[in-house]
Amino acid sequence: MMNPVSEMPLRLAVWLLLAPLLPGIVNKVKAWVAGRRGPPVLQLYFDLAKLWRKGVVVSTLASPGFLLGPAVAWVAVVGAALLMPLGPSLAGAGFRGDFLVLIYLLALARFCTAWAAMETGSAFEGMGAAREVSYAVLAEAAIIAAVLSLGVQTGSLSLSTMLAPAAGAGAALLAAGLFVVLLAENCRVPFDDPNTHLELTMIHEVMVLDHSGPPLAAILHGASVKLLLFSVLLVQAVLPIGQFAPWAGAGVLAAGVLGVTVGVGFVESLLARLAFRRVPLLLTTAFLLCLFALLVAWKGGPS
Amino acid sequence: MNSIAAWLLTLAGAAALIALGCAVRSGRGWLISSLSASGFALASAAVVLTTGDGWTWQAGFHLGTAGIHLRMDAMSALFLALLAVLGGAGALYSREYWNEWEHPRSAPAGRLWWSSLLLSMALVLVSSDGLQFLIAWELFALSAWRLIILDSRHAAVRQAGWLYFAASHAGTLCLFGFFASLAARTGSWDLGPLRDQSDFAPLLWLALIGFGLKAGLFPLHIWLPSAHANAPSHISAILSGVAIKMGIYGLVRFTGWLPLPAGLPWVVASLGVVSAVLGVVFALGQHDLKRLLAYHSLENIGIILIGLGFALLAAEQGNVVWGQLALAGGLLHVWNHGLFKALLFLGAGSVVHATGTREMSRLGGLWRTMPWTTALFGLGAAAIAGLPPLNGFVSEFLVYLGLFEATLAHGPSAWAAIPAAVLLGMTGALALACFVKVCGVVFLGAPRSPAAEGAHECGRLMRTAMGVLAAACVAIGLLPVVFWPAVARVVEAWQPAWTARQPAPAPLEVLTFVHVVLALLAGAVGAELWRHVHRGRVGRAVTWDCGYAAPTARMQYTASSFAEIITGWFVWILRPVRHEHPVEAVLPVRAMRSGHTPETVLEGIIEPSARGVLRVSTAVRRLQHGRVQSYLLYTLIGLAALALLIVMHRAG
Repeated sequence: MMNPVSEMPLRLAVWLLLAPLLPGIVNKVKAWVAGRRGPPVLQLYFDLAKLWRKGVVVSTLASPGFLLGPAVAWVAVVGAALLMPLGPSLAGAGFRGDFLVLIYLLALARFCTAWAAMETGSAFEGMGAAREVSYAVLAEAAIIAAVLSLGVQTGSLSLSTMLAPAAGAGAALLAAGLFVVLLAENCRVPFDDPNTHLELTMIHEVMVLDHSGPPLAAILHGASVKLLLFSVLLVQAVLPIGQFAPWAGAGVLAAGVLGVTVGVGFVESLLARLAFRRVPLLLTTAFLLCLFALLVAWKGGPS
Repeated sequence: MNSIAAWLLTLAGAAALIALGCAVRSGRGWLISSLSASGFALASAAVVLTTGDGWTWQAGFHLGTAGIHLRMDAMSALFLALLAVLGGAGALYSREYWNEWEHPRSAPAGRLWWSSLLLSMALVLVSSDGLQFLIAWELFALSAWRLIILDSRHAAVRQAGWLYFAASHAGTLCLFGFFASLAARTGSWDLGPLRDQSDFAPLLWLALIGFGLKAGLFPLHIWLPSAHANAPSHISAILSGVAIKMGIYGLVRFTGWLPLPAGLPWVVASLGVVSAVLGVVFALGQHDLKRLLAYHSLENIGIILIGLGFALLAAEQGNVVWGQLALAGGLLHVWNHGLFKALLFLGAGSVVHATGTREMSRLGGLWRTMPWTTALFGLGAAAIAGLPPLNGFVSEFLVYLGLFEATLAHGPSAWAAIPAAVLLGMTGALALACFVKVCGVVFLGAPRSPAAEGAHECGRLMRTAMGVLAAACVAIGLLPVVFWPAVARVVEAWQPAWTARQPAPAPLEVLTFVHVVLALLAGAVGAELWRHVHRGRVGRAVTWDCGYAAPTARMQYTASSFAEIITGWFVWILRPVRHEHPVEAVLPVRAMRSGHTPETVLEGIIEPSARGVLRVSTAVRRLQHGRVQSYLLYTLIGLAALALLIVMHRAG
């Protein structure tokens, strides 16, 4: 266990540098299933470097908030990621209720992204923003039920102790619920299709339609950090990461995240996007799964 | 005994009386004396909140059966501080917003009733005598009514005023019953702790209705949306920021002093949850900017009541830890909601002042002409949506912590805490959706009407007033630890058994750190991105429209289309009304579709039952028509009936 302050740069480096790998892995899996070669795993790094050097085209309607929104959203997502423990060796300090700060930082990111989308006055982007903030209501309920179940299970209110042991009897329920939330919050199939270019059917991609250059780089990087954040949460919620030796724990965590990412790739290859009418249904199912996990924890957890 | 606080409050009272005196003649004198009254009152409240010592004062003489009995403790001071800040900001704002030139007739009257409203609310807060409390309460209700109908040329304003008047007096009736039964049982109008008199407990139900009507909790909120929407905006700000908190003050005060009836904690907590969720759902259905903000008051009152309700549950079950957290969160939310809601109403006032409309679908793109209002309103929106690092998150965080601790305690209250926590989370997400909608539709995008295109920024005084409130929101958000002792003192005043004189809970200290770092980082990254972008090439082009040749501002997403997904989930309670002329032929001549969300409780329950009462009374009134012959007939029938009764009685 390192000093929480001195380990901060290391944690920051892990989040910032490893996150763009995940979309690359997902795309590789999709290409493999479809029998294509696909883009290189490191494609997002090249894209980010290219976008950072490019100029920007801004809508004539947009205010300075259009550029500041992505910046604040990026800070919020990275801040949320820094609150998440990274296995036993980089567990961070943690405090009672830190997961609330995490959830609300993600909400802050959502607010800023949706604000920037509304800047353009485009009906498409309004549509995307409306979908994003609406579905988040159900996702939020599911996440709160999930962390409550972890809290009841471990008798703790801080992420580093909540996530260390295994999820107990309700692990399968919790894993299924959190995986659905992961897909919804990161706008993956079956909620959203990151590959489509039909504006009417998109959520997240349509919100960032008018962004370009460095702000778009910030958005893409933030999205990859968010995907990593949810994968890490899912793996640590289910596996007893805290019981491994520090480096073994880190290895198990990395393997778990890789597994989740490959899973996302398979889901994306094998499923079609849901009709929008069905989205609330699936999210409600996720909420119910987390709620059942909570009830299981309630019956079996320490009293 | 804290004589400094007492003297400061005396000075504040004197300044407020001077303001009342010169309100009609001199606007400038009124402003100066109002501001100094606010300053003194704030200082007095600050002294009480930092030292924890209150004061009481009893006049030597008596008026009839009642004396004059004033008392200020931490609880009064908490609400008085909010009153002082909002009173000062509102006075400053109104000098420009409701000025002599545009409103020659109602501006002086507005100043007079404003001062009288503030004075009577302050008197309510320091009253320690039932009769005096009722008199001050009635004065406060009447002043608020005069202020709501300040612009009485419009029928909608008069109607809103009437509804407020009626609802307010229904509440006063309950309070009259409450104080009178209290006085009848104790033999004096004096108010004070009576925790050991368990037979007084049922009286709290009367207080819940009376104070609940003022606080506007669901389903007693019927007067609130129209009153807040139709009053001038600085009045809406004080109504929403302070006046409805008087109901909360009453509830907190008397639940602390009287024994609790069984079931009250559960009722308060569930009313809180219901108000929070339905308040924000109704807000999403609105397209009148101020009506929408009014429904958000309902939501935030709900959050405050969740805090109070769980504190009551904790008091009932003797669990201190989470009770303190929940109550502290609820009380801090009283301040926070007052600050950001007043900021939002003042921002809405600037919009109305600049464009002449409250209809969101006629606005849009205001940031270009109103950058200050946009920035300040946006800050208020982030605060009310409970986003870190602003103040709304701090109080919601404390309430959440209380709920989570209650869940971990595994008692019966956990069964209430789990749904409350989940629904509070959903409320937060819904509020976020609602304020993205408001900001996006009103301030961003392209102007939807000529009125929005020709808008202008508000003047310096209005901007200053909003700036002060915004600064207060940021201060509480960034430094919650500084404000903790004040709230902890009120918790102690509420339940002396909970000795809350403890340092701030550790999570709050970390939160302070996290908030400051977050704010600094957001500023730094924002500045860096801005610099980097402007070092390179920045082109301007139209928004991507799929290559459509003739885009218009009316193609933008509107308030109702933005909210449609969520309002669709809540059709069962919102019952939206749609007016439609569908597209018929191949080349349709006209087609339209519009809709609005009515006030379900008012139009679905209260109005039909009121109509029923009226119908019965009209039918009964036919007996009274002024024809002597018929009256003689009634007398005859009455006598015959009496005779018949007697005869039957004899026979039986």
